Amino acid sequence: MLKVKINNREIEVDEGTTILEAAGKLGITIPTMCHLEGGEKFASCMICLVKDMGNGRLVPSCSMPVIDGMDIVTDDAECHEARKAALELLLSEHVGDCEAPCQGLCPAHMDIPMMNRLIASGDFDKAIEVIRRDIPIPAILGRICPAPCEAGCRRKEMDGSVSICLLKGFAADRQLAKEPKRATARIDLDPAKRKKVAIIGAGPAGLSAAYFIDLRGHSVDIFEKTLETGGAMRGISEEKLPREVLDREIEYLLGENIRINHGYDVNKRIFDQLRDDYDAVVVANGGWQDTGAWGMKMGKSGVEVEPGTYLTSLENVFAIGNAIRASKVSVRSVAHGKELAAVLDRYFLSGVLERNEERFNSKFGKLVEEEYDEYLKDSIPEPRIEPLEGKAAGFTVEEAIIEAKRCLRCDCRKADNCLLRDLSGEYGAQQKRFSFGDRRMVTRKFGNQNIVFEENKCIRCGKCVQITKQEKEKFGFTFVGRGFDVKVGVPFDEKLDSALRKTAIKVIRNCPVGALAFASE
Amino acid sequence: MEHNLENIIAATDEIIERKGTDAGAVIPILQAIQARFNYLPEEALRHVCEKSSIDPGNIVGVASFYSQFRMEPAGRHMIKVCVGTACHVKGAGLVYDSFKRFFGMGENQVTDATGTYTLEKVSCLGCCTLAPVVQIDDVTYGHVSSDKVDSVIKDFESQVGKVASKGRFRTPEGEEFQGEIRIGLGSCCVASGSKEIQKEIEETISNTGINVHLKNVGCVGMCHQVPLVEVIDGNRKSTVYAKVKANEVNDIISAHFKPKKLLDRLRTRAYNILEKMQSDGSWEGVNRYSIDMREGVVSEFLGRQMPIATEHRGVLNPLDLEEYKNKGGFEALRKVLEMERSEVIRGIRESGLRGRGGAGFLTGLKWELTAKENSPEKYFICNGDEGDPGAFMDRMLLESYPYRVIEGALIAAYAVEATAGFFYIRAEYPLAVTRIKQALINCEEHNLLGENILGSGFSFNIEVYEGAGAFVCGEETALMASIEGRRGFPTIRPPFPAQKGLWGKPTLINNTETLAMVPYVIRHGKDKFLGIGSENSKGTKVFSLAGKINRGGLIEVPMEITIREIVEEIGGGLQNGKKFKAVQIGGPSGGCIPESLADTPIDYQSLQSVGAMMGSGGMVVLDEDDCMVDIAKYFLSFTQKESCGKCTFCRVGTRRMLDILEKITSGNGKMEDLDELEYLAGWTKKGSLCNLGRSAPNPILTTLKYFREEYEAHIAGRCPTGKCAAMINYYVTDDCIGCTKCAQKCPVGAIKFEPHKKHEIDTAICIKCDACRPACPVDSIIVK
Repeated sequence: MLKVKINNREIEVDEGTTILEAAGKLGITIPTMCHLEGGEKFASCMICLVKDMGNGRLVPSCSMPVIDGMDIVTDDAECHEARKAALELLLSEHVGDCEAPCQGLCPAHMDIPMMNRLIASGDFDKAIEVIRRDIPIPAILGRICPAPCEAGCRRKEMDGSVSICLLKGFAADRQLAKEPKRATARIDLDPAKRKKVAIIGAGPAGLSAAYFIDLRGHSVDIFEKTLETGGAMRGISEEKLPREVLDREIEYLLGENIRINHGYDVNKRIFDQLRDDYDAVVVANGGWQDTGAWGMKMGKSGVEVEPGTYLTSLENVFAIGNAIRASKVSVRSVAHGKELAAVLDRYFLSGVLERNEERFNSKFGKLVEEEYDEYLKDSIPEPRIEPLEGKAAGFTVEEAIIEAKRCLRCDCRKADNCLLRDLSGEYGAQQKRFSFGDRRMVTRKFGNQNIVFEENKCIRCGKCVQITKQEKEKFGFTFVGRGFDVKVGVPFDEKLDSALRKTAIKVIRNCPVGALAFASE
Repeated sequence: MEHNLENIIAATDEIIERKGTDAGAVIPILQAIQARFNYLPEEALRHVCEKSSIDPGNIVGVASFYSQFRMEPAGRHMIKVCVGTACHVKGAGLVYDSFKRFFGMGENQVTDATGTYTLEKVSCLGCCTLAPVVQIDDVTYGHVSSDKVDSVIKDFESQVGKVASKGRFRTPEGEEFQGEIRIGLGSCCVASGSKEIQKEIEETISNTGINVHLKNVGCVGMCHQVPLVEVIDGNRKSTVYAKVKANEVNDIISAHFKPKKLLDRLRTRAYNILEKMQSDGSWEGVNRYSIDMREGVVSEFLGRQMPIATEHRGVLNPLDLEEYKNKGGFEALRKVLEMERSEVIRGIRESGLRGRGGAGFLTGLKWELTAKENSPEKYFICNGDEGDPGAFMDRMLLESYPYRVIEGALIAAYAVEATAGFFYIRAEYPLAVTRIKQALINCEEHNLLGENILGSGFSFNIEVYEGAGAFVCGEETALMASIEGRRGFPTIRPPFPAQKGLWGKPTLINNTETLAMVPYVIRHGKDKFLGIGSENSKGTKVFSLAGKINRGGLIEVPMEITIREIVEEIGGGLQNGKKFKAVQIGGPSGGCIPESLADTPIDYQSLQSVGAMMGSGGMVVLDEDDCMVDIAKYFLSFTQKESCGKCTFCRVGTRRMLDILEKITSGNGKMEDLDELEYLAGWTKKGSLCNLGRSAPNPILTTLKYFREEYEAHIAGRCPTGKCAAMINYYVTDDCIGCTKCAQKCPVGAIKFEPHKKHEIDTAICIKCDACRPACPVDSIIVK
């Protein structure tokens, strides 16, 4: 038996045990991307570097055997920096998007590609569920949103963006037509933990905040100056946004718990009262009142707030939407409401007031023309269609399905199952730090058995090479070339299916990034 | 023969029959297929997979890993432009570009339209003193410049198909000794035409009936003067002729062994050659002169040196076993075979001999670690995979002193009780491979190899394994992976080769030069060896001295000699009176030591303390015209190609450092880039798996440390030495005499001229190929 100290904890292990295994026995997790359980000691990603205190050297723990008397540290500042550097190097040649450009451009960060896929497959109920996770007024926005998402659609340069906005409206209209009441489950919060929030203003920002705070189980009261609900949205022409749609969707949004008090012209006195009566006050009145007199610090464009938390200069007072900066883009106000709800919920439950964490997101920028065909493999060749019965009427089912199928699937199939993404987030890696020179071209290779291989996302960990060899695939995967240009490929350029006759599932599950995935994923 | 499917299959079958069907045979099989077809036809590889235990993943992985292998057919003739360090600093890049232009090849095209020539860059042909060097098939051209490409091709084409006349050497049996002619047959000599000279001498002797003895000797180390012919006349006086040409042989021989009047003829000829040089711009403007080995510059060149690995240099016929024995060869082996193994190891350990491959691990300790492993099978490997682009010590030792290396190997093998041995030699060193193979046969015939060696009861065999072109295979674990028929991926140590090496058995790997030292240490005892060198570094070290130096070549010097002594006394100082700027030691793993630190002694520790390392022994001298950022870029472009491509820091880190250097040398650098460069260099050093990656940042770190102002100048938009093409332009000064020579040389018509008037270079058209500058008789073309 060999003795080893890891993070100052001692353990005895058999000869031949690696540091990674020994740490595992102590319950210490060391991150790794290339290590394959039962595989060879390959050591390629170098994320698992740990420090040997005996000589100060960094060693890959997945491969380094324990030597008697070793003293190892797994997560000091140097290990941390080493992992960050390795991740940044891997990211510098990782040509892939975690999220599609459209989603990144949507202020509410709606999962557009997912919506497209669900509509394309005819699962409209699931589609609207996905939409409502981020946007509580999709029927309205489906008519009035300037659709910044469509400006970033990769299909734009080919034959027109996917008609995202109309698709969203399509799904929402169908839901509102058949579902009388909001069905989205509200969190059944312990009444002791439930907080009270007052929202001033019933425009898109206030309504959105109310909706998302309500969903999290807190109680919400809206105080609206006018006798109507919807704020500036009421001023939009009937032709563009029929009142019926507006009212119907607001009704649906408010559900059973959100109380709305009309005719409340909030002044300093009422405002102070609200602060006394509620756990938090959200100013979402579109800047229509003289909020400066209420004691909040004002900036050039409106109420001054702390970026990310929307906290004003007053304790427990928050401001969103046009109250902080005038804008005609309702979806931006909607996004504020959604973000604030998450901030407040965390604040109420844990006492910590902090901005929502942004997930790491790899972006590679524009597609070049030579790459269009690669992305079109995931799509259909139809050009953008306009609803036959006019934009106001929206898509028919058939039209919606065709249009949704035009989506190029720019988001990664493994966006929620990618070690590179998770670790890059954890270690604060900057994607573009070392991205010099030309990027590699994107390619998508499809096999017949639901496999897709995107070589440009590969980090050369070699797990697929090891697995196909272990399982005695006739062709399998192999490393081709060497140096920076080494890549993983199928010998003699055989088809993917010949490489993965029996190991497709295992290989895909083990691929730490989105290089190998199920096509249907 | 046509390469139809049937032929390919038949030839492949025959190759498999010969090389075996084990997975380990993959590299020899691929080498044989390529030797047969000039590339690797996919059908052949698929057929190998069907007929052997080699699988497609393995064969494609291996074929694409080693640079020797080609997947596409090549032209009938291979043009190899050496881009080793010495050639690089003398403008090999411009020569390569010039060939591309000559053949009108596109960016990614390497074979000309007629399929006659394929152009490739090779990392080192080992003729650093003839730099820049170009090899077309077996013909080597030295001192090629960008404007001489057409002459090279013309000359090569005039040679094609010529069958050299086969002169027979007439054996002067029982006749009086009239003299001896020694001809160098090291690679530099051969590359510069010594084979033709040998034929010529044989013919002359045969035709004239002069009774002299023709003797082949290995490398003398005076590679800057090749080809060399040494004549020992009847009075035992030695005269060395340098840079000899075949058509001069007759005269040389006549000068020594015929009536005096012929000497006049020789002088006249020499004069004619000189005259020809001035009047004719032909590329073969080489001069010839005789020098006396025992006097003047030459004795200085050799005198400061101490031959141990190169003992009896210039005297030994590489393959003459009897001669080697007469000079004490195999005495050490005889001695050792009667000693206790532990005693042999102790002797080596106490001599202080350290590995000459780079890291400098104590050789005796390495033997001890292997010896103590208990295993019925143990392997011994001689590491001859010298890949440093600017070093050719191992090649020379294997070519010129094969028996010495074999003797060292046998001693090591005996000491650790190895059961089988390998010589791993780069395939780029065909002469070394042939010599060692022949020497092994000769040894076997004399019971120095095989069963019961010299009656000692010790039996041992050695196989030659040809490396297929991968710098990383100099790393022990990668080398073993290569012998096992895999990609040269290094693996983590421990386990060390001594514990689990080749095929999982204890294995001792020693560098060629280390082994060449062993017989000396045994023969003279540890104390003599201990008396040479410094406190921590004992004995001598062989270097290949090249670059901007007057006398380049192979040198063997005692440790503790300073860099300055080597440059000034042995190398004869800088060429053309230029200022000594730095010396690059240790190649891609080493660093640039500035002139201000030239008094640093050659010693493992002191070299490391200035940021370089002993490395394998490349030593390239740089002058004031060399751009240090360009030098760093040169090495990084080498390492990022040669990285095995496994671990992140080396694979991507070296490339990103190169990207930053490219940014800086193209005029787009920012000061922050230097911080990022240092950051990446630091982490690549700390985080890489093997020593290739761990040492790859050294060229950057040393140049940043000693020549930071040059980096800063580039960032400010100026390349101080005028080397970085993106930052310079060519201009004609008022000195121009209007001779039009430059305009005739310009390949793109960028020089506007009127005879007898000052010419002008259109910088928008100019491609900065440097053809015009050397053509100007009055140095009126400048770069700024």
